[in-house]
Amino acid sequence: MLEQLDAIQQEALAEIPSIDSEPALEQARVKFLGKKGTLAAAGAGMRDVPKEQKKDVGQKLNEVRQAITSALEAKGQALADAKDAESVKDIDPTLPGIAFPRGAEHPLRQTLDRAVQALRRMGFALASGPEIETEWHCFDALNTPADHPARNESDTFYFDDGRLLRTHTSTVQIRTMESTPPPVRIIAPGSAFRRDEIDATHLSHFTQLEGLYVAPGVSLADLKGTLEFFFRSLFGDKTALRFRPHFFPFTEPSYEVDLLLESKSGTAQWIEIAGCGMVDPAVLEAVCKTRGDDAYHPDKVTGFAFGMGIERLAMITYGITDIRLLIENDVRFLRQFA
Amino acid sequence: MKLSLNWLSDHLDLSGCTTEEIADLLTFAGIEVEGIEQKGAPDKVIIAKILSSDQHPNADRLSVCKVEYGGEAPAQIVCGAKNYKVGDHVPLALPGATLPGDFTIKKGKLRGVESEGMMCSGRELEVSEDHEGLLILPAETTVGNPLSSIFPNDTVFELEVTPNRPDCLSHLGVARDLAAAMGAELKGPRDHAVNSIPRQPANETEIQVSAPEACPLYTARRIRGVKVTESPEWLKQRLLAIGLRPINNVVDITNYVLMEMGQPLHAFDVAKLDGGIHVRLAAEGEKFLALDGEEYTLADDDLLIADQSRGVAIAGVMGGEESGVTESTTDVLLESAYFDPPAVRRTSRKLGLVSDSSYRFERGVDPHQVAGASDLATKLILELAGGEADAAILVAGEAPTLTGEVVVDASKLGSLLGKKLTPKEIDGPLSSLGLEKTSTDDAPSTSTWCIPSFRLDLQRPVDLYEEVARLHGLENIPASSQGQFVDASSEDRSYDFDRTVSAKLVGQGFYECHTIKLIAERQFDDHLCPLIPGEPVALKNRLSDDHSHLRPGLLPGLLQVAERNVRQGAKSLKFVESGTIFIKTKGGKTLEKQHLALLMSGPASDPNWTNGAPGDASLSHLRGVLDTISPHPVSLIPLETNDELIVRAELKIGKQKIGLCGQLWPAKARSLDIDSPVLVAEIDLAKLEKLSTSDAVLYDELPRFPAITRDIAMEVDRSFANGDLVSFFEKHNQPLLVDFRMFDLFRDDTGEKLAADRKSIAYSLTYRSPERTLETAEVDDAHGKLLEALQKSLPITLR
Repeated sequence: MLEQLDAIQQEALAEIPSIDSEPALEQARVKFLGKKGTLAAAGAGMRDVPKEQKKDVGQKLNEVRQAITSALEAKGQALADAKDAESVKDIDPTLPGIAFPRGAEHPLRQTLDRAVQALRRMGFALASGPEIETEWHCFDALNTPADHPARNESDTFYFDDGRLLRTHTSTVQIRTMESTPPPVRIIAPGSAFRRDEIDATHLSHFTQLEGLYVAPGVSLADLKGTLEFFFRSLFGDKTALRFRPHFFPFTEPSYEVDLLLESKSGTAQWIEIAGCGMVDPAVLEAVCKTRGDDAYHPDKVTGFAFGMGIERLAMITYGITDIRLLIENDVRFLRQFA
Repeated sequence: MKLSLNWLSDHLDLSGCTTEEIADLLTFAGIEVEGIEQKGAPDKVIIAKILSSDQHPNADRLSVCKVEYGGEAPAQIVCGAKNYKVGDHVPLALPGATLPGDFTIKKGKLRGVESEGMMCSGRELEVSEDHEGLLILPAETTVGNPLSSIFPNDTVFELEVTPNRPDCLSHLGVARDLAAAMGAELKGPRDHAVNSIPRQPANETEIQVSAPEACPLYTARRIRGVKVTESPEWLKQRLLAIGLRPINNVVDITNYVLMEMGQPLHAFDVAKLDGGIHVRLAAEGEKFLALDGEEYTLADDDLLIADQSRGVAIAGVMGGEESGVTESTTDVLLESAYFDPPAVRRTSRKLGLVSDSSYRFERGVDPHQVAGASDLATKLILELAGGEADAAILVAGEAPTLTGEVVVDASKLGSLLGKKLTPKEIDGPLSSLGLEKTSTDDAPSTSTWCIPSFRLDLQRPVDLYEEVARLHGLENIPASSQGQFVDASSEDRSYDFDRTVSAKLVGQGFYECHTIKLIAERQFDDHLCPLIPGEPVALKNRLSDDHSHLRPGLLPGLLQVAERNVRQGAKSLKFVESGTIFIKTKGGKTLEKQHLALLMSGPASDPNWTNGAPGDASLSHLRGVLDTISPHPVSLIPLETNDELIVRAELKIGKQKIGLCGQLWPAKARSLDIDSPVLVAEIDLAKLEKLSTSDAVLYDELPRFPAITRDIAMEVDRSFANGDLVSFFEKHNQPLLVDFRMFDLFRDDTGEKLAADRKSIAYSLTYRSPERTLETAEVDDAHGKLLEALQKSLPITLR
């Protein structure tokens, strides 16, 4: 009996290492360890073994089963390893990727969004107003003289009913103050329109971002701190800014903001980026007039306002030299901003 | 406005400043510097004398000159000009001189003859207009001296003066402001004093003003016996430097005073006037021949300076062709007046005629300098043209008082600036601007200031606060910040929703577009923009037919984008745009709505080296995209087709109609050069937002028991709409059915495997109980009942 078991073990251990496929391995398992396999057949002779030898034979039987199982497992592992190795043999990391869909947000929206998110971190909430506006909201309430050139039909789009396409998003200043008591701390991104021929530097429809903060005790120092923080968060901590005294009918004092930016040639240049100022008392008075109260009386509140062109901001950010690229939506252009 | 540094230096010592420093001073005074130009004779251009001139041996049109220029030996110069004679003094550019246009003179041979420099015209050197040959210099000039000894170098600044500062539209005005900004003193007085000039009220035969609102003050001074000639070099240089063409001494003097003081003047030839001056409104349709040679037709609100028979000047805008000063003039009538700014602006704009005069009058000149300007011009005329002036200036009307006193409250100023200023920090800048403190009021922080007549912009306290801030410099004001907590507004939520939707679509390969909101009438199509009944909004004053209306929908713009990209060779089109659309409703109201539009065409997925040529996207692809931005799967309710759309469906989420979806007629697509199906959708973004955010998201418990699926295939008519199956499965009352999903659609045009007029639709149905693991028999029972009901309610045959 013991010899028979030795013989089975020898046969198995001789045969298993030369097996070269998983089905053959399974056949070998059935042959040696299966219910009708050789080991089972040998095990059937157990009952004929004298009682005193049963223990030794039983032990031997286990040893043989163990040895064959190990050999089968080892072979199984070897075959699996070989198969794995075979399966990755053809991987070529230098093959091109299989593209997943890839679109892009418009660069103008990306630029606007960066600005909006920066200002939101600074506690400004969004506000809006109609794009078809009244002359009151676009000019009168913003302290623009009745014969100001901007009101001309040659500069501004009008409708038959006397309304117009807003020439700036400053209209939202008025809209917001008319409907909300102070304090207001808002930004208003949106379209503005001017009756300009479209060329490399002009669009008849463009995008602005307006900001307004009106509350008791708002100062020029606050305006300066706000815009410095804002532009540095957009263009980097070390961005140099300057405020040039300027004139707008709806703010006083008024400033234009320049950023010192490096051009492609490497020379730094002051680039005009925004207009700003302290809300003119006449604007606050106009708001009081429509509100019918004195919530915005210039003695009670002061405020600052600022505005910038998003097309210009995008052009500066991306080095775009022709503004028309921003409205043509050529995929070869848009793809660059994915 | 052009500003000459030499001229400015008459009033202010700027010798210690570089050009950049002066530009910075101007900039921070609020006067934008748009350009800087260096004028005057270039270096190495010398006054030379022509000693001889001989015919060039090899060129008929050239001569060879010997010129003396202060060098050891005369230079030999080849020259093409003919206008000189031997002995003339001319400018000679020596080798190394760089002429305007970055042209450097070198020694060289011209047609075989050595030339040691170039003799120049005035225009080549940009020192005068003269270009008919060499610039012939006066004989008294010194040979060997640099040309810059007669044409001094100058720096000219091109300034953009803001409309509130007409006082800066002159050299004296800019000098005043710069002096204040620098904390320096002017060399001379702040204005040209007028008190000493005798004035005499004009009688009606001399000056009659019939429109005193438009012309509150008119003055005239007669100067007899003048000799009108060329102006002296210094005067010509002054005018040339700032881009004015010298005409004759009298006209040049009026221009000089204009640019010196900002007060426009006009000189009439007395001999060409018929009697006294009549300042009146023009007759409707009155014709006027201006000195630009154009005839203008005036209206009855245009102010005219007339004599007794005709108009001689459009007040404040332009003089007449027939009454101006010429070489034959002997007696001059010098006009200096104050015209009402809106009146001048109106006329100037209506006629499309802008002059240095109208530019200043319409912004506002200093009414108290009218006589002073007349006097300065008179003095110069007497000096340069001789003659004798009337003893007094004839005056009609009165200089209006446009400035007064303004109270400054230091505490308000401090809180506006965010910095408390000392009395000195307030008084200093205001005094330096020519304001006079008339009193310090009882309250310790207030003071009253008298505004000089040239500062028309200083009317309110805030106007003075601006001046203090401007001169103090924002760089000297601290940067601070303050603000309170703010709620998200509804705009914030809409903005975020819009960005989220866009991001989802971008993640699926869509390119976000930004198109112009103005479109052409021909782009508008009822069938493509039918979300809201109404009409597109038309502009009253369109700039072009391409941009005549506000867009009533986003699809016209996206179709244009698709067309453009296809023509540029793009194959796969996936575009999205969100933004405002405008509709005029039947009731005449204008609506502004936020919409979202999608356009898809071409391969459904990007072709790559594993998938060969992917098939074109179909309406189902677009629908799949729409499902990703919708809180619930969308439903498309087929509508009748129309001219534009071969497939047209109402886009609904639940019961709410939110948009339109469809496929363009192939012919329409081909007109855009697109051969693949063009799929479009336009959605009311506000409705989508509302649906997406109205229900709080509550999680469903994860299934704890296994599901069992059963697949079914159904044969139906080819025209059978899948939607009927969907409705059936949605409305079934089989509690164990938890999901149904279509997984196959089969058609066979050949009729071999399936009749050509039939199709096969296959669904996978999922059964599950939330309480227990289902037995096969239970599922078989439920499935059997469901199929029975299905066969009863729909014309299907189970396969």
